[in-house]
Amino acid sequence: MAPVVEAVDLKKTYLLGKVPVDALRGVNLKVESGEFLAILGPSGSGKSTLLNLIGALDKPTAGTLLIGGVDISKLNDSQLADLRRRIGFVFQFFNLIPRFTALGNVELSMSIADVNRAERKRRAEELLETVGLKDRMNHKPAELSGGQQQRVAIARALANNPKFLLLDEPTGNIDSKTAREIMTLIKRLNEEKGVTIIMVTHDQHLAREAKRVVQVFDGVISSDMVN
Amino acid sequence: MRATDVFGYSFSAIKLRKLRAGLTTLGVVIGIAAIVALLSITQGLQNTIAMQLEQGLATDTVVVTPGRSILSGAGGQGAGIGATIGGDTSGFKLFINDTATVNAASTEIEDSIAIIQRVIYVHSENRTFAINVNGVDFAKYAEFYGSTFVAESGSISLKPENDTVVIGRRLHDPWKNGTLLFNVNDAIDITWANATARPPKNETYTGYVAAVLKEVGGFSFGGPSDTGVYIPLSQAQAFFGTDECSMMIVKLKSSDKTTIESVSEAIEDAFNGEVSVISSTAVLDILSSVFSVISLFLVGIAAISLLVAGIGIMNIMIVSLIERTREIGILKALGMKSRTVLMIFLSESVIIGLIGAVLGTVLGWGLANAVAVVLSGGGLFQNIGSAQPATRIQSGLMTITPVLTPTVLAGALIFGIGVSVIFALYPAWRASKLKPVEALRYE
Repeated sequence: MAPVVEAVDLKKTYLLGKVPVDALRGVNLKVESGEFLAILGPSGSGKSTLLNLIGALDKPTAGTLLIGGVDISKLNDSQLADLRRRIGFVFQFFNLIPRFTALGNVELSMSIADVNRAERKRRAEELLETVGLKDRMNHKPAELSGGQQQRVAIARALANNPKFLLLDEPTGNIDSKTAREIMTLIKRLNEEKGVTIIMVTHDQHLAREAKRVVQVFDGVISSDMVN
Repeated sequence: MRATDVFGYSFSAIKLRKLRAGLTTLGVVIGIAAIVALLSITQGLQNTIAMQLEQGLATDTVVVTPGRSILSGAGGQGAGIGATIGGDTSGFKLFINDTATVNAASTEIEDSIAIIQRVIYVHSENRTFAINVNGVDFAKYAEFYGSTFVAESGSISLKPENDTVVIGRRLHDPWKNGTLLFNVNDAIDITWANATARPPKNETYTGYVAAVLKEVGGFSFGGPSDTGVYIPLSQAQAFFGTDECSMMIVKLKSSDKTTIESVSEAIEDAFNGEVSVISSTAVLDILSSVFSVISLFLVGIAAISLLVAGIGIMNIMIVSLIERTREIGILKALGMKSRTVLMIFLSESVIIGLIGAVLGTVLGWGLANAVAVVLSGGGLFQNIGSAQPATRIQSGLMTITPVLTPTVLAGALIFGIGVSVIFALYPAWRASKLKPVEALRYE
C-alpha cells in the first residue's frame, strides 16, 4: 500500500512582493497509514506551507508530493478539489459555517461530496456521537464552546472517510483542559479507529502526544523522531 | 454538489442577510413592475383604441381622397390622412360623379359614395362652434353605416328636404350634463366662410335638426361621428357651390386583406395614382406600429430602472463576496469545486431575480389596473372617444383593460432573472477564482 503522504525534495518559493522567499527548501517525508505524526516548528519555519501542500490547498514549486500515491502537481483545480474531499482538514479557528447547526456543518462536507440527504444525516449524527456531541447537534457554532466547536470540526473532517486527518494547531484556540480532551479524542480516533493523523503545531507539549515528531526548521526537516 | 443543495446553500446565505437581500430584490421588483405596468397599459390602450376604430369604421370600406400617396406602398397607408389634412396638393380634384369610375375599377366593389366636407360654424346663444359638415347621400350613407347612422331622437329621412340637418350626439348634449345645445326640430344656422368669393364672405343658411344620431363612440374615419353634422349631398353642392368631393367611401364585397389591397390598387390605377386609398385595416396597422414604438420607448425607460437594480445586485454581490471570502476558503478546503462556488453565487442572484420578477409582475399588474381605474373613473380621456363615466351608453367609453400577454409575463420573468444573473456573473466569477490558501487567511 502506497504511503498516505510522500514528499520528495519538496520545495516551495513565495514571492513576497518582489522578493522570493524559500519557505520549503527540500523536504523529504513519508507518512504511512495509521500513523500519528506531529509536525513541529516555530513560526516562520515553513510548517504552515507544508500543511497547505499536504492539504492540497497549494502546489509545490519543485519536487514531488504524492498524496495516496497521486502526484498533486499533475492535478488541475477540479481534481485538487476532489482530492481535498478525502483529506480531513481541522483548523485552528474551527472554521465552521456560523449559520449552520453542528449537524448542518458536518452534513455540508458530505453534500459537497454528493452524498445523498438521508445518508448525510445518518452519518453526521453518528460522527457527532463519536466526538461526544450527541446532545448539541442542533446548536449553531455561536451556541457552542471552543472545545465543542473543535469537536464539530473534527466530525466534519471525518465525514468523507478521509485518508488522513490534517490538524492545524487544533488546540491553539481553546483552554488547556478542553485541549486535553480534544487530544484524547484525537488519540482515540488514531488508536481505536485507525485514523491517520498529521498534526501541525508549534507546541512541544502537544507534539509529545504524537507517536512520531518531525521538526521543521528553516524550510527543511531538522529531526524525525519516534516517541 | 447537487443542484438542490446548491440552491439550499444559496437560500441560507440570502436568509442570513434578509434586509440587504430584500432591498436588492426591491430594485428588481420596481424595474419589473414598471415594465409590466407600462406594457399591459399600452397593450390595453391599443386594444381599446383598435376596438373603437373598428366600431367607427366598417372594415369592409376604404376611403378615397384626392392627392398622391406620400408613401408609395400597398394602399398608400398614411398618405390619405396627410392628404385630407393638408388638402389637395397635387391640384387633382375628385368629383362627385367620379364614383362611377371608382365603381368600375374593380368587381370587388359593391358601391361608393361621395362626401363633401367643409368646416362650418354654428351658433347657439352666444357661442360659436367650428364643426365638420358632411354632405352625403342619406340613403346610401345609411346603407353603408347601418349601425351608426341611426337616429337616437327624430328620424332620418332617406329622401331629405334641403334644409334637413342630422347632428352628432356631441352637438346635442356636449357637456353631458343635460344642458342641450341643439334638439330635434331646432333651427340651426350653418355659416361657411367662402374664401373663393371675391371678396371673401360668410354665407349662412338655416336648417332644421331632423335627427340626433345615437352615440357612435370611438373614432370615425369617413363614417358617422359624434362631432359631425350631416346635410344632404345636393344641399352641400348648392351651398358650397361645388361638385368637388372631399372623399369617397367605397364599400367592398369582402373585408379580407387581399381584397382590400387589390381594390386599393385598382382605384389608384383608375385615377393614375392621383388619389390615395386608405383602409381601416391600414389605419389599424399604422396605429399598431405607432403603439409598438411607444411601448418600446416606455419599456426602454423602465428597463433603465432594471439596469440600476442590476448594478445594485452586482454591488451587493461584491460586498457579499468580500464578506464571505473566508467561507469560500473553507468550502474550497472541504473540496468544493470552483464551478460549484460560481453556481452558488449565481443561484443567489437567480433567487433574487425570480422573487423580484414574480413580485414585480404582481405589483405591475396591480399598478396597471389601478391606473386603468383612475383613467376611466377620472375621465382624463374624456375628450377622446367621448368618455362618459356617469351614463355609459354602449362601448363609447375609453375603458382601458390592461392586458398581460403570456409573452410579457414570460419576458418579465426571463428579463428579471436574466439581469440578475448577468450582473452577478462578475462577482460569482471572482468568488470562484479565490485561492483557498489566501481565502482561508482572510480576516
